[in-house]
Amino acid sequence: MHELTATQNILSLVLAEARKVGAARVVRVFVKVGEWSTIEPDCVDFYFAVIAKGTAAEGAQLAIERIPVRYRCGSCGLEYTPEGGSFACPGCSGASGTLISGRELFIDSIEVVHADTRVAKSAGRKRPARGRAARGV
Amino acid sequence: MLRKVLAANDRLADELRAEFEKFGVFAVNLMGSPGAGKTSLVERTLERAGDMRIGVIEGDPETSLDAERIARFGAPVVQVNTGGGCHLDAAMVRKALGRLDLACLDVLLIENVGNLVCPSQFDLGEACKAVVCSLPEGDDKILKYPGTFSLAKAVVLNKMDLLQHLRFDVPGFRRHLSELNPQARLMEVSCVTGEGLDRWMEWLKDGVGRTRA
Repeated sequence: MHELTATQNILSLVLAEARKVGAARVVRVFVKVGEWSTIEPDCVDFYFAVIAKGTAAEGAQLAIERIPVRYRCGSCGLEYTPEGGSFACPGCSGASGTLISGRELFIDSIEVVHADTRVAKSAGRKRPARGRAARGV
Repeated sequence: MLRKVLAANDRLADELRAEFEKFGVFAVNLMGSPGAGKTSLVERTLERAGDMRIGVIEGDPETSLDAERIARFGAPVVQVNTGGGCHLDAAMVRKALGRLDLACLDVLLIENVGNLVCPSQFDLGEACKAVVCSLPEGDDKILKYPGTFSLAKAVVLNKMDLLQHLRFDVPGFRRHLSELNPQARLMEVSCVTGEGLDRWMEWLKDGVGRTRA
């Protein structure tokens, strides 16, 4: 139900980035949404189309990637997605797992068009940086 | 570019956390379904507060009913109405703090909007999130709302006085929590009979102690 707030934040961050890189128009927005982020991607998609009207991001496509919930077992180190009504490790039955992904809610990058119609991706898809954010969100 | 979508809220929450720490206030974000007994827990807490100075922020979509319940105990309380919104955010808490004197508090209980989904996504600057859950809701809540329960430092299982009337698998509930979030402290209580509330009060006292340490 708070998808509108999240979408407004996405739009303002996207427009700020587009201004920063001198883009004429935003073509695509790459968003990562964890399964436990409490965000419904379809709602975000719907709101974005509405509130982006009249901005440089009007008509931009939202490419939303769902990030599955993953745990790392504290006992045997196995990484797993909890299934079947249990959060315990399927390898050793240990119950001391740490959530390592699934809460993400961030914009990974945007694709923009400059006035001379070149399509360019905004910087920042470097692996180490993405890894840090994924754990930090 | 990598931008956290809720970065603005997180920044504000960090400011609030620094403020709570500066004044030595143990802030708790109380989450749970409507009717789980969050306000009842706050009431019973105030009855047992002794010399612990407790302030309360009450979050609800509409009405000041909860703040009126709390005000009867003489505690400083601010009602926040979200106007239909499903959660509190850091900006709402900051505004509410304008009407609370943190220097006169040991504990701030922030009762979130009744909802087991959205509140978990919004940091309010609290030291701990606590989830209040109750027997009539059913014993499957941890499985259905793992995102919220996985963030809790404390889980208060309320309405234990109804156990004889309900089919609620308490050992199963304990097991789900210990698998999902082994660090969470589970407290089985009744806000009607007072059962188990001493442990909750101890948990709050420990929190104040840690905040002041």
